[in-house]
Amino acid sequence: MAEIKKRIRVTVNGERYEKDVSPAKSLLDFLRTDLNLTGTKEGCGEGECGACSVILNGRLVDSCLILAFEAEGQEIQTIEGISRHDRLHPLQKAFAEKGAAQCGYCTPGMIMAAKYLLDHNPSPTPEQTLTAIAGNLCRCTGYGSIVDAILSAAKER
Amino acid sequence: MKVIGQGLPRVEILEKVTGESVFGADVRLSSPLLFGKILGSPHAHARIKSIDTTKAERLPGVKAVVTAQDLPAVRYGRFVRDEEYFARTKVRLVGDRIAAVAALDEETAEEALRLIKVDYEVLRPVTDALEAMREGAPLIHEEYDRYHAISMMEGRKGNICYHKKTVQGDIERGFQEADRIFEHRFYAPMVHQTYIEPHAVLARVDASGKVTVWVPTQAQFFIRQSVAEIFELPLIKVRVIPTEIGGGFGGKLLPTIEPAAVALARKSGMAVQIVMSRAEDFQVANPRHPCHMRYKTGVKLDGTIVAREVEVVLGTGAYCGIGAVTCQRVEMLAAGPYRIPNVKIDLFCVYANHANCGPYRAPAGPQLAFASESQIDIIARELELDPVEMRLKNAIEEGDTTPASGGPLKSVHAKATLLKVAEAAHWRVKPREKNRGRGIALGYWLVGGYASSAGVKLNEDGTVTVMTGVVDLSGTVTSLGQIVAEVLGVELDDVHVRTADSDFAPHSTISAGSQGLRSMGTATKMAAEEVKKQIMEVAADKLEAETSDLMVEGKRVYVRGSIEKGLSLGQVAQLSLVHKQGPIVSIQSSSHFPNQPAFSAHVTDVEVDPETGGVKILRYVAAQDVGTAINPLSVRGQIQGSVMQGLGQALSEACTFANGKMLNPSFLDYKIFSSLDAPRVEVYLVEHAAEDGPFGAKGIGEPSIIPVPAAVANAVRDAVGVSIFDLPLTAERVLKAIQEKNQRR
Repeated sequence: MAEIKKRIRVTVNGERYEKDVSPAKSLLDFLRTDLNLTGTKEGCGEGECGACSVILNGRLVDSCLILAFEAEGQEIQTIEGISRHDRLHPLQKAFAEKGAAQCGYCTPGMIMAAKYLLDHNPSPTPEQTLTAIAGNLCRCTGYGSIVDAILSAAKER
Repeated sequence: MKVIGQGLPRVEILEKVTGESVFGADVRLSSPLLFGKILGSPHAHARIKSIDTTKAERLPGVKAVVTAQDLPAVRYGRFVRDEEYFARTKVRLVGDRIAAVAALDEETAEEALRLIKVDYEVLRPVTDALEAMREGAPLIHEEYDRYHAISMMEGRKGNICYHKKTVQGDIERGFQEADRIFEHRFYAPMVHQTYIEPHAVLARVDASGKVTVWVPTQAQFFIRQSVAEIFELPLIKVRVIPTEIGGGFGGKLLPTIEPAAVALARKSGMAVQIVMSRAEDFQVANPRHPCHMRYKTGVKLDGTIVAREVEVVLGTGAYCGIGAVTCQRVEMLAAGPYRIPNVKIDLFCVYANHANCGPYRAPAGPQLAFASESQIDIIARELELDPVEMRLKNAIEEGDTTPASGGPLKSVHAKATLLKVAEAAHWRVKPREKNRGRGIALGYWLVGGYASSAGVKLNEDGTVTVMTGVVDLSGTVTSLGQIVAEVLGVELDDVHVRTADSDFAPHSTISAGSQGLRSMGTATKMAAEEVKKQIMEVAADKLEAETSDLMVEGKRVYVRGSIEKGLSLGQVAQLSLVHKQGPIVSIQSSSHFPNQPAFSAHVTDVEVDPETGGVKILRYVAAQDVGTAINPLSVRGQIQGSVMQGLGQALSEACTFANGKMLNPSFLDYKIFSSLDAPRVEVYLVEHAAEDGPFGAKGIGEPSIIPVPAAVANAVRDAVGVSIFDLPLTAERVLKAIQEKNQRR
């Protein structure tokens, strides 16, 4: 079916993109299908699980709840953009070492939520850390190792 | 041991923390992709009068529409062939598959579903197993008698799909000998695995007719078998490529959307992807069986259990699925890990118009333990016995048998596990604050082991590659690497181990039943040992030494006592290429593992808010009999996550239905534990190398969830003196029980 597409310009992980997207397309879908950045996951499509968390102009958002064209002119950071020159972000390193990723499906979103926390609060308490990831569901770890990883990354930075 | 026992990060961890891992919905092909959608029945029970797909087929952008007419008329099912992939004449659950469409985009596929016209004659649904057993209940499978069933399927009648009675000793005399008899009824509702990755699949058919299926599955060989059976294809015409799996917990064992994707790919000639929505996944995947339980237990005044009669009614859903094997589990576990001379177990597997229940982490385990361990606690209180002492008095020991255990049990550490948790939790120093309480429960599970084969090869530079088809859920693949590294005297970094697909991996066990490592680890260890033998033979020739004088360690093989007289593994590998033996490689198989018990004992402290009934977990201590922990990081992590799932089942999770339609198919309304609800789970490992299992390892994943709901219920009883017999222990339920208790005063 012919549909009206809308041109958007966004910066994702420092790269500029210009794409025509359908007005109904979510930012999550845009990242995953148009840009092939499949690191960001869909767990529910309803903003309840946090697997699709990305940082949009400095805000932590559920990318499934945002339309792609709402991101027009904005900067987006995804899991693919947080390690620099093949050097892991301290959070990635800590998640690996502390066993904070088991199946790994919630991990990209979880790391983005943790990054947002550390960007705003470089030395969080365990309670603040639990609150910061409250919107990101994990069914494997029981959250303890995730909190340990975030606190350990905070010390590293 | 050097590598065994190390809490090493998982071998695939860097892909996971960078977002590189390819999960079910992440597979991308160079050819264009169609989006598939499945039309499910809106009714829980109805006869299909007609299906008209013409309008859907004509919609621009639609490339294929399939119904039962497009598939061979195959009825399947492991125990009883009661299932057809697409419904032909009748639907038996909301979401029962009617048709599937593939279109250029998702919206078109959804619109096409709306254009399919189905005429139903709606029938009265029966959505609870007890109701379904009653005389005059609507029959869910009218033609049940004509279905093919395997010989174990006894007691089929009406909606009862399987009924078995097990008796040990003399149950009547047992109750006559008892000083006190206790009888209670319990209920555990359906709960869902809620892996964060919904079911997803991509299927393609090539020019030769070969089907390739990319899928996050726990059982690639089982999916291959199922697809081949449904489409009547030889196994070499089906290739299953397991992707990374975003959680399974049993929910990704049975085929769900794979055959639909295959049917659409065959009809359209294009690759087809289907991804379930969260709501679909809740409604039509295969959750945990709802379970009605009646426990009657006779005891002596000193707490000795003399008789136990258990009746379990398991709602299997619209189809038998794994209902019968879950019943076998019930038979093994219902009486609990106790020495009881007289036992009677009466179990029913019953059809109902709800989701086709399937395996979820310890099928039937947490439900049974909730009933059994709650009742033990009630008895201990009534007899004024310490709950730990009462369990210690009755717990099984080395060489004991339990119903259907398959003979005397080895590596039995029930008491050690109880004592460990009691010590770690400071059992005797009870919380004294008002509305606080402490509960204990003992979990019991029997782990078998299915057939597995694995390969190990020595590469030309002395590194090692493991060939396995086992899917990694909980770190199994990393543990396989550790096993090989240990045997061959190398580091984990010198070993490459990842899951290969069904065309290239030797037959592998399913990643379920807590037996993946026991089964696959044994085959892998055998293959590594054979490779070690070959290394020594090649080296012995070159070094002019006896193999019995050789040591393999530190990436070298050398003559014992003179470390300089040796070869690197790389030199051996290269020598072997021109040696009479040829390349060093081995594939080994294992099968037939006897049942091995695994115990978990949990203590939790809770606080109950008497105004709201809300239960807060203050502390959670888990001890588990793990044999040898090959990788303690994985073992602890798995136990912590398992406890959290159990806490959900204890306090907040339940699939609720009206007329067979799920009312809460979202994370908003189906509450799994978030970080704010989660206590820190303290884990204590009871390590006694097991009789068999690689390096003495035992199964981990399932025992850890079993005692959780019971431990919480027992802590609530201790806190506010009320017994809750239905899961979950929601605030409303607890408050109601408190109010009823206050009225009785």
